[in-house]
Amino acid sequence: MRRGVLLGGLLLSLVLLAWAVSLLVAYDAVSDVDISRASALPSLGHLLGTDHLGRDVSWRLITATLSFVGPGLVACILAALLSICAGALAGWYGGWIGEGFRYLFTVISAIPRFVLVLLVCSIYGSTVWNIALASALAYSPKMVESIYNRIAYFRVAEFVLAAEAHGVHPRRILSYHLVWVNCRYLIFRHMLTLFSYFLLVETTLSFIGGFGVVEPQPSWGNMIAFEWGVRDGNPWATFAPAIAIWAVILGCALLVEGIREDEHA
Amino acid sequence: MRPCVSFFATLVGAIFLAQLLLWLAPGDAADIVANDPKLREALVQEWGLDQSPLQRTLIFLGHAIQGDLGTSLTYRPGASVTGLVLPASIRSLGLLLGALLVSLVTGVGIAFHTAGRKSWLRRMIQIGSVVPVFLLAYASMTLLNEWTFSLMQAEVISRPGWFALPDQDSFLKTCLAILVLGVGSSALTEIHVASEQELQRIRRSKFIDAARARGANTTPHLFWNLLGPLTTLASNRAAFFLGGLIIIEKVLHVNGVGAMLWQACRLRDYPLALGITFVAAALVCAARLAGDIVRVTVDPRLRAQR
Repeated sequence: MRRGVLLGGLLLSLVLLAWAVSLLVAYDAVSDVDISRASALPSLGHLLGTDHLGRDVSWRLITATLSFVGPGLVACILAALLSICAGALAGWYGGWIGEGFRYLFTVISAIPRFVLVLLVCSIYGSTVWNIALASALAYSPKMVESIYNRIAYFRVAEFVLAAEAHGVHPRRILSYHLVWVNCRYLIFRHMLTLFSYFLLVETTLSFIGGFGVVEPQPSWGNMIAFEWGVRDGNPWATFAPAIAIWAVILGCALLVEGIREDEHA
Repeated sequence: MRPCVSFFATLVGAIFLAQLLLWLAPGDAADIVANDPKLREALVQEWGLDQSPLQRTLIFLGHAIQGDLGTSLTYRPGASVTGLVLPASIRSLGLLLGALLVSLVTGVGIAFHTAGRKSWLRRMIQIGSVVPVFLLAYASMTLLNEWTFSLMQAEVISRPGWFALPDQDSFLKTCLAILVLGVGSSALTEIHVASEQELQRIRRSKFIDAARARGANTTPHLFWNLLGPLTTLASNRAAFFLGGLIIIEKVLHVNGVGAMLWQACRLRDYPLALGITFVAAALVCAARLAGDIVRVTVDPRLRAQR
């Protein structure tokens, strides 16, 4: 299982490295067009070859990380903040406060996640930041429920009663003893799952078209769609982004599994 | 009683949330139809755009109870949303139930074989199942087309009715959609892992030890006690599959409610989008209600707790 965690960590590190590179080096999707080298197979000059407009596939693959890494991280942080506040308060206070928070998030989860993302994109515009916000909102009920269950379980645990008896401030018990010590692995697991969910949503929207990242800006989703139906094209123009999506989602799943096992160990 | 109250309260809340999203949006639906100020004002009054989200929710629900989900604006101008959504929903429901059945039967079946054992099958399912639905649909459709074309060129088969006609409905396409939806985007692996965990928990129970000690067959006990957790899993999965329907219907050109929602969102046909969201939320709430009922029926201890 350690191999799985290492592999997952390595894949995500590569994605972060690609993101850092694309932040530092500007890529112009329009000036990269060169029909004379259209659908070229991999070579030393173009490691993954070119697409049918002659654009370098490896460079577009790296630049496409801009469309999901930054917004994905923002979605994870937003969802975590929202869920920690709501889940911890609901679990700690219980009663009508707890029921109120839980009802609020049950309502959000009644609308299927992808439907909610689509509605938000249609109403507010289909930028990657709106997709990130919608994904965070759509995913947060699952995170709230997990945090709520754990806090409510530990609320009456002996160490919490002992800390209260010693006069430790409830804010410290809740934020440190319960959320940080007992929920941090859980929260991190959910953040990783949300990151892979965001990648899934962004690439799906960009692949189908109409929403998401639009050509000429690269996204792993629209890179696949752009080569769909091109006869005698460079197969790596399709395979590379497809493998990248699969690898990152698998990497997140392996890391989530590893963290879960560490938590239970 | 409580699950029924929860069903209606959640449904009302979901519609209120959708109306709130629309209400908070810059501009309104009248902007995309009319530019004459008088006509705009008339439309704003007719569509109730000057009302608060709560008023809009109550009016929408009042009409929905009578079977009226409004009128389409841009998808098919003037057409009844109920008339558009219902036939498409029935078509999509078939795909959803099929996908649910595929992932439950496969996931639970394999879990019976792999639970509590070291198995390469678990890792293979994970590796295959994490592939996104759109990618799996795209790859399977491309491979199917390539193979069929090769067989046609080699004169092994004649041209099938569905070949090179993406909009044509066919049995093969329906099966492919069900299979992809039931396996892709981690659907299979989640059901498989959850079933394994539940099976191991049940196998460790004292009543299973007692049944084993008497020499009785434990399989019926395992199935009966697995029913409750499986229903919860299935009801949660139903919401996920509803989202997946949009993707699969768009990629495989299936004319269902998912593709209709996509088009309604693209054309900013909000009455239609709201009608479909209402149907989807009602289905999610109904799945949860059914899950609650089955769980209470299977496990009498839950009845005592209530």
